[in-house]
Amino acid sequence: MTTSDVLAAPGAASDTPEAAPGARQLWRRLRAQRAALAGVAVIVLLVLVALAAPLLAALEGQDPDAYHASAVDSALGGVPVGSFGGVSADHWLGVEPGTGRDLFARLVYGARISLGIGLAATVVQVVLGVAVGLAAGLGNRFLDNLLSRTTDVMLALPTLVFAIALLAIVPAGFPRPVLLVLVLGLLGWGGTSRIVRAQTLSLKSLDYVAAARLGGAGRWRIARRELLPSLAAPVVTYSALLVPSNIASEAGLSFLGIGVKPPTPSWGQMLSSATTWYQADPTYVLLPAGLIFVTVLAFTALGDGVRTALDPRAGTRLRAVARGRKGARP
Amino acid sequence: MSHLSVTPRRLAAAAVVLAITGGAAACGPEDSGAKAAGGKPAKGGTLYVLNQSPQEDFDPARLYTSGGGNVPGLVFRTLTTRNRENGADGSKVVPDLATDTGTPNKDATVWTYHLKDGLKYEDGSAITTADIKYGIERSFAAELSGGAPYLRDWLTGGKEYQGPYKDKGGLASIETPDAKTIVFHLNKPEGDFPLLATQTSFAPVPKAKDTGTKYENHPVSSGPYKVVANENDGEHLVLERNTHWDAKTDEERKAYPDRIDVRSGLDAAVINQRLSSGSGKDAAAVTTDTNLTAAELAKITGDKELAGRVGTGHFGYTDYISFNPKVKPFDDPKVRQAISYAVDRSTVVNALGGSSLAEPATTFLPAQESFGYTPYDAFPAGKSGDAAKAKELLKEAGYPKGLTVTLTHDSSGGDEQGPEVATALQDALKKAGITVKLEGLESSAYSEKIHGVKTEPGFFLAGWGADWPSGGPFLAPIFDGRQIVQDGYNFNNAQLDDPAVNKEIDEINKLTDLKAAAVRWGALDKKIGEQALTVPLVHPVYKRLYGKDVKNVVISDWTGVLDVAQVSVK
Repeated sequence: MTTSDVLAAPGAASDTPEAAPGARQLWRRLRAQRAALAGVAVIVLLVLVALAAPLLAALEGQDPDAYHASAVDSALGGVPVGSFGGVSADHWLGVEPGTGRDLFARLVYGARISLGIGLAATVVQVVLGVAVGLAAGLGNRFLDNLLSRTTDVMLALPTLVFAIALLAIVPAGFPRPVLLVLVLGLLGWGGTSRIVRAQTLSLKSLDYVAAARLGGAGRWRIARRELLPSLAAPVVTYSALLVPSNIASEAGLSFLGIGVKPPTPSWGQMLSSATTWYQADPTYVLLPAGLIFVTVLAFTALGDGVRTALDPRAGTRLRAVARGRKGARP
Repeated sequence: MSHLSVTPRRLAAAAVVLAITGGAAACGPEDSGAKAAGGKPAKGGTLYVLNQSPQEDFDPARLYTSGGGNVPGLVFRTLTTRNRENGADGSKVVPDLATDTGTPNKDATVWTYHLKDGLKYEDGSAITTADIKYGIERSFAAELSGGAPYLRDWLTGGKEYQGPYKDKGGLASIETPDAKTIVFHLNKPEGDFPLLATQTSFAPVPKAKDTGTKYENHPVSSGPYKVVANENDGEHLVLERNTHWDAKTDEERKAYPDRIDVRSGLDAAVINQRLSSGSGKDAAAVTTDTNLTAAELAKITGDKELAGRVGTGHFGYTDYISFNPKVKPFDDPKVRQAISYAVDRSTVVNALGGSSLAEPATTFLPAQESFGYTPYDAFPAGKSGDAAKAKELLKEAGYPKGLTVTLTHDSSGGDEQGPEVATALQDALKKAGITVKLEGLESSAYSEKIHGVKTEPGFFLAGWGADWPSGGPFLAPIFDGRQIVQDGYNFNNAQLDDPAVNKEIDEINKLTDLKAAAVRWGALDKKIGEQALTVPLVHPVYKRLYGKDVKNVVISDWTGVLDVAQVSVK
């Protein structure tokens, strides 16, 4: 996206204020980008669906875990009865082959797992990454070396393989969604940490930070009052890009059968059991695959938009373009 | 399931096979009129076998086979073998190298066999009973582990014998008074001995040709084919005609193709895809280890030509819920009965691929006469469970508000003891007020846990198949109190040690009339079934594709799968 999208964006903010960085300005700049806006709309819709999952399932009159033996043709290997995977007034998006469980109910409940784990894992990654990055940037040489090398190791770890190993050894009693958040979170903070450290090092030598230090401010205060606000932009940008990757990781782990446990519905798990059905019941494959695709795309578009909006140079371009267009108008 | 339903199913299976033969003849491009009139199988050509698992063991001592095995049965002849016929006839035992299925003494502890005339190895030398004795002795050697445990348990002195490499004296309980006679002395009566004599450990091995663990690279053939190539530890096998095999001495194996090419290491989906498209050599291909999955079957059923190339078989197997009455609350028969009433067999059947891949089971024994199948339904759950009756029993047991239990299962998807069946049961029991928590374990951890007396959970999924079609190997390991293994793999999961049951097992083992024994096994199954120690769920059905040019498909109830020795590709 970027330039071409920006060029295509109609009704770009006409009066971009020069100062006042923050959420309001970010939103104003995001609004100028059609793809990012579409991403935001899709995400809001998905979050609403996830939150209202019990309500939506109740509206349809279905339970995500209830079996419907009559909705599938047992003699045909359990193919849903009816066209498009058994779409009917009772089952809006059809039923799962073999079990006859309602797909609409399972998909809306599955949104809770996908989004919930994706977002929660991102929070863990960002909190850990910022903490480690700041400590490395502000600490003495020994601490910096120790934390930086640890970060290098975390970045070099083959995350998927490690996650599989971790998920396999944890006792079965541990709540699975929490475990997934922890595994993804604990393995994925390396990138944030490295960015935060680099940013901290460059900010540390700036005059206003030196002034604060001369004024007697401690490390903690400097980190909190002087550095964190300036770190917000890169961190927000990076985490917006982490969310889709976490959603995809959850789907991948569930696809491999080590994600959430049955009967909890998850998109990745549905996609996994759907793979054998792609010829006999294509609808069953397309639904979870389509949802994962749309969700990841929406978060990626938003992440890209946030990056463009927070990039000082891109911001200038954005304003220039907006003015140029305005100027060109008769 | 009523008794009546069995016969029509068999007939249906036979009808399918007939239709297949007719169909194949009608659509084969090179079919002449003569072939179409009955699709007569003819000699010649190469049969291709597409498999997932390589034939890593090709040593008769190391093979654990039922009825002599499929591909191994082409190379190894045994004293007796399975009857190579369709359906129930195929679960009979018939002579192979021997002239009959064995002559027992009065109490079935001594069995005598005589060899046919004119039996030869691939090099033309004569097969003697001393070679059969030597072959059996090899199966006791620790170096050649992997075979079935029965001979060790049954032969007098079998427990102590270390195999011919360590113990040059040999096994005294096998006598070979002359080159054509062999006598077995057992430590207890075993009317099933002729069925055991089908296993490849009864194949002759010439002592002079024995190369120990390397013997499997080139086992000396006594059957219609010999091994000409064995690449990558059984990944690719090429078998060609054994010219010294005489069809007059072998009424069982048809051996139509001149050459058999076994390729393994393939993915299940790839095998079924290749068999269904059947291009080139794949038209003359079969598989001996890959079943059709529900999704594949759903697609194939819509295609008449493909549907005509599906072989259906019934191997004696039962998938069931197992209880450990030593764990609360399963010590209370009422709780076990409540669960028996609450199960919904229709959703379990669907979880395992629908009604064409699984049949609901209410008996522990498979629904086959040879096992002694006696229909009963001790706790009639109907088609989809009797939640009301279950609730009533729970109330009597002191759980008016229902209860919460943990169901242990294998966590690998697609497994018969896997999460699909577990979640189906979870949903069914919910209706009866039983909250089921699922404990899914990785395959080996699951297997270890349920087969250890000390680690065994109270409520779990299990499955059992027999080594030969008889009630003995089906019931004894599961319900004989003397077979409870304290350290190691225990299959008596209910840990039942009932003197009456143990005594009846001993009594039936003395019978050499297999039909009379079968009736008694059936009655015993019914009696044990009333204790609700297990909840039989389903008997699986096998469906496998075969290539366009493949004729004379024979599927016995012994193996439930296509017999590779009978097919023709011409």
